[in-house]
Amino acid sequence: MSAVGTVHEGAGSRRGGIGRALTGGAAIVTLLYLVLYLLYALWEPRALSAYTFTSLVNNSAPLAIAAAGETLVVLSRGFDLSVAGVISLTNVFMAVWPLEGPGGALLSLLGCCAIGAVVGAVNGWLVAVLRLQTIAATLGTMIVCQGLALVVLDAPGGTVADWVSYELTDSLFGIVPIAGLVVLAVALVWLVLLRTNTGVGLYAVGADEQAAMLSGVSVRRIRFVAFMGAGILYGVAGFMLSAQTATGNPNAGAPLLMLVFAAVALGGTSLSGGRGGMIGSIVGAGTLMLLQKVLFSGGVSSFYTGIFQGFVLIAAILFGRAVPRLFGNGAQR
Amino acid sequence: MVGELADALVVEGIAKAYGATVALERVDLSLRAGEVHALLGENGAGKSTLVKILSGVVRPDAGRMTLAGAAFAPHALLDSRAAGVATAFQELSLLPNLTVAENLMMPRMPRGALGLASARATRAAARDILARYGLSRIDAAEKVGALALAERQRLEIVRAMEHASKVLVLDEPTAALAEVEWLFGLVRRVTARGVAVLYISHRLAEVRALCARATVLRNGRSIATVDLSGASDADIFEMMVGRRVRGERAVRARPAADAPAVIALDRLSGGSLREVSLTLGKGEVLGIAALEGQGQRDLFRILAGLARPSGGTIRIDGAATSLRNPRAALKAGGGLAYVPEERKTEGILSSLTAAGNITLPVAGRIARGGLIWKGLEQGAARRVSGHVDLAERYLGFPVGDLSGGNQQKALLARTLLTGARTLLLFDPTRGVDVGTKQSIYAAIRRFADDGGSVLFYSSELPEVIDLADRCLVLYGGRVFAEFAGDELEEHRLVGALVGHAAGPGKEGADAARGAAR
Amino acid sequence: MSAQGNGAVRFDGAADNRRSGGVSKETINAIVVFALSIVLILGSRFVSPALGSWSQVLTVLTLASFLIVVSFGQGLVVMIGGLDLSIPAVITLGGVLTAGWVGAGNAGAWYLLPAILALCGLVGAFNGFGVTVLRIPPFIMTMATSIILASAALGYTSGTPRGASPEALTVLMKTSWLGVPAVVFFVVLFVLAGWALQSRTVFGRRLYAVGANPDAARVAGVSVGAASTLAYVASAVCAGFVGMMLVGYANGATLRMGDSYMLPSIAAVVIGGSSILGGSGSFVGTVGGAILLTTLGTVIAAIGLEQGWRTVIEGGIIVAALFFLREELFARLRRPGRS
Repeated sequence: MSAVGTVHEGAGSRRGGIGRALTGGAAIVTLLYLVLYLLYALWEPRALSAYTFTSLVNNSAPLAIAAAGETLVVLSRGFDLSVAGVISLTNVFMAVWPLEGPGGALLSLLGCCAIGAVVGAVNGWLVAVLRLQTIAATLGTMIVCQGLALVVLDAPGGTVADWVSYELTDSLFGIVPIAGLVVLAVALVWLVLLRTNTGVGLYAVGADEQAAMLSGVSVRRIRFVAFMGAGILYGVAGFMLSAQTATGNPNAGAPLLMLVFAAVALGGTSLSGGRGGMIGSIVGAGTLMLLQKVLFSGGVSSFYTGIFQGFVLIAAILFGRAVPRLFGNGAQR
Repeated sequence: MVGELADALVVEGIAKAYGATVALERVDLSLRAGEVHALLGENGAGKSTLVKILSGVVRPDAGRMTLAGAAFAPHALLDSRAAGVATAFQELSLLPNLTVAENLMMPRMPRGALGLASARATRAAARDILARYGLSRIDAAEKVGALALAERQRLEIVRAMEHASKVLVLDEPTAALAEVEWLFGLVRRVTARGVAVLYISHRLAEVRALCARATVLRNGRSIATVDLSGASDADIFEMMVGRRVRGERAVRARPAADAPAVIALDRLSGGSLREVSLTLGKGEVLGIAALEGQGQRDLFRILAGLARPSGGTIRIDGAATSLRNPRAALKAGGGLAYVPEERKTEGILSSLTAAGNITLPVAGRIARGGLIWKGLEQGAARRVSGHVDLAERYLGFPVGDLSGGNQQKALLARTLLTGARTLLLFDPTRGVDVGTKQSIYAAIRRFADDGGSVLFYSSELPEVIDLADRCLVLYGGRVFAEFAGDELEEHRLVGALVGHAAGPGKEGADAARGAAR
Repeated sequence: MSAQGNGAVRFDGAADNRRSGGVSKETINAIVVFALSIVLILGSRFVSPALGSWSQVLTVLTLASFLIVVSFGQGLVVMIGGLDLSIPAVITLGGVLTAGWVGAGNAGAWYLLPAILALCGLVGAFNGFGVTVLRIPPFIMTMATSIILASAALGYTSGTPRGASPEALTVLMKTSWLGVPAVVFFVVLFVLAGWALQSRTVFGRRLYAVGANPDAARVAGVSVGAASTLAYVASAVCAGFVGMMLVGYANGATLRMGDSYMLPSIAAVVIGGSSILGGSGSFVGTVGGAILLTTLGTVIAAIGLEQGWRTVIEGGIIVAALFFLREELFARLRRPGRS
């Protein structure tokens, strides 16, 4: 410990640009996506057609948007199980009260967002104000939402408005999937959020609540905003799922619950908060859905996709944890 | 240090309790504009709580504060900051996953086009700040997590200085700094602007170099505000702990010099510990003295099986051992039992009874037919509770309801009950009352008289002097000095603690002070 | 910072007039939950004359037996600060294998049933491995296990489980002694054994320590990983056994037979007064929670409320229970190192 040493400490700890780019969870998962797509194209020549691509994007959009929402909560060091409840609830809402035409679709979208916002606000209140543990509190709201979905529609059925189910699953100029544009819009909102104090605060709270508080961040406000934003995105996800399935199912959200966390983890977001981002989660969701297609075209019975998904989830978490360790603790967004 | 000596901040009768625990009983303090005012006190005296109250993070139960003549009652950190009061926290309030620039600007980023936070503007503003504080070598775009601890500490200080237009609170600002000239220069600069600085440090030499006045806290009360030039170290010490420095110590029959070594470390490294070699003999009480963060924590955690060494060997009762976990440590040789530093987080299980806590490591041994019977449990606990003066009636209480002193007695009783022949005690009397201290000392001495060995660290020098047969001073992760028998004197240890070669007596300490200046 | 010094001295002076071993919060909670169940059964007479009778009590106890057994396992996992979402899948695994391997009759039941339970235990060990060694958040690890198992069961049965209930299980679930269903006797024994295991054994004590404060438990020489893994194993064995009980009750297995037990198992534990953060709670409270939930279910069914409202009420009860237990949560959230 000499004065000379102190002057130079810190120097040389800066990583090169390449290592930094590699540590980006989003970059790795994107690479994985491309490799899988290549595999898919080899097995299934139709994979490169605009039709197949559109249907893949349509399949992935609800999960991608839901995972994007979950990312907000995970970044702030929390878990939000209500995603399953909100998707079920908005799905039956779409199927029981279909509103035709573009105006109706807009109203439905607003309705879905409102449902998500209300649930998100309740979660936010339970977690940020009452300081309940996130898993337990959102488990409660998830169950309540599942119940309400059953009350609205006690068995699968109903029809989603034609305009929604046709137009939103179509593609623009025969090549750009509409669902893809919706996902893109979500990504753009995220990029804007990153450039706000709230966005920076989200990472701060997720990394160290105490230090964030001592840095002047309102932890309570950030947590509330995270849950609220997540709820709204779950609403959009439910809207997109309804467009895709064209029918209602009071349990529509349940199968997505695990996939949402898998997508978030696969996308490089740390489950202990403060590291990662929405873009990774979106690509992660796409990768999971693509994996199903690849397995299917590879001849694996659809019975067994769950086995792969489960192990992919575990592998994604281990992988996501190992990568920053290998390349230094770069915190990518 | 010139400037009008008007009161910048006046604190009157501040009190704060957390549940049944009184953190601050009554604190009065006044800071003059442009002065550096020291806040002194032992661990647990209430310094941190006072800092949090000044920062707006915690609100006092009673009392009032006046800032530059106006009432000052911050409800949040930003309130304090807006009023011109800013703090560099001891625990560092930086976010490792954000860049240097973002941390400096927290919580509001400069805006660029479209009203959005601009990374470029943030970096530019941060570079400007860093340059003003002589830290241009730090890359504003670097993540704080990639910086060395010392640089992080500097950032914490710089951020506070940026916002401190009236009062700057520095809580142990030099804990991670090897040299203090940079800090002292900056402190002189802000005081020249008329900012009052509240300076909290355990290092008296630094305090004397920088501060003119000091306020001493003891047990949540402000004992006095003194002129440092008129107060000797002994005076200040007396105010902090409530008694005078003692020259001599209780005499104990020293263990035989040729007693077999129960612990022998050879060039042990790990964490901030650097190639430490030491031996602990049978029946010996070996004290470790060190300032905060000199590797003592790593030494104890490695021996307790809670951390892995990065190099060196550990021999327990002559056999080379790797202590994989605390269970392995308990079984190594005659057994190593550990009383941890953080009573609340690593020690007690608060909702379990005292008896349950004491018997936890031996639960398997006291069970009959696989079941733990209350009577057996109480009986086992009673066998050792007497050794530490823990009243039997407390055995049935949830340990979380007991006082800190009784909790500590229960933890010590637990290590005794394990039957381990070596105790590792990390600051065993931190935050406990005087009576408990005496009970703990007695228990330790008795244990050693019965042939057990004790390795202990204490943040209080008199404790080391009173208890230890021999004392090692750690400095910078290495064994810096060793004292035994009559050499164990407070002023000698003080010199070694700050890294000054063990000079003959008082001059050593003075020289150390000179060096720090 | 610690300032026990001064607070402490004061307490010492005042401590003498306090008694140890007083009524704990957990005991009060258990009493309240049982009282609520009794009130609910008695009150249900006003809803329908068919309710509130002794036979309804026996029905409730029979129906609650499944929930009591799974909740014991869930309770052990919650005790260590975890959560087991793989319970429904393990119930299904136990049920499908029992109906498929053993089938009607008793041939081979004496070794096949234990083998099936051991297999379920292995699943629990897998959960424990993921949580303690790989350090994957418990709810994610058990969710992954759940989806893997569900998929395996789907593939194994090709969508339609076959087989019937072994004789022994039919006897357990369908016969009555002295007018009381055999399973009620079994549950009483199970509750006694479960309570002793959780509250009186060395194993239970260690789980408690791990849940209350894993760092302190480790320092005290408890093997945190082993204790935690055993909790997951116990939970899986309990779930597998419930699969068998359900086979005996319904004389067959379905792929969704476990689904309706996941949320109630968590609800029963939370209502029973256990902290979801671990380190507190008693099995007696959990049993009360299970009985209360089952009673509520039968009453709601009798009133004619749909499944949806029943679920809403269940969720509401979880949130309410968390709300009322939150002071304790407050104290624990302040402890660093836990999220």
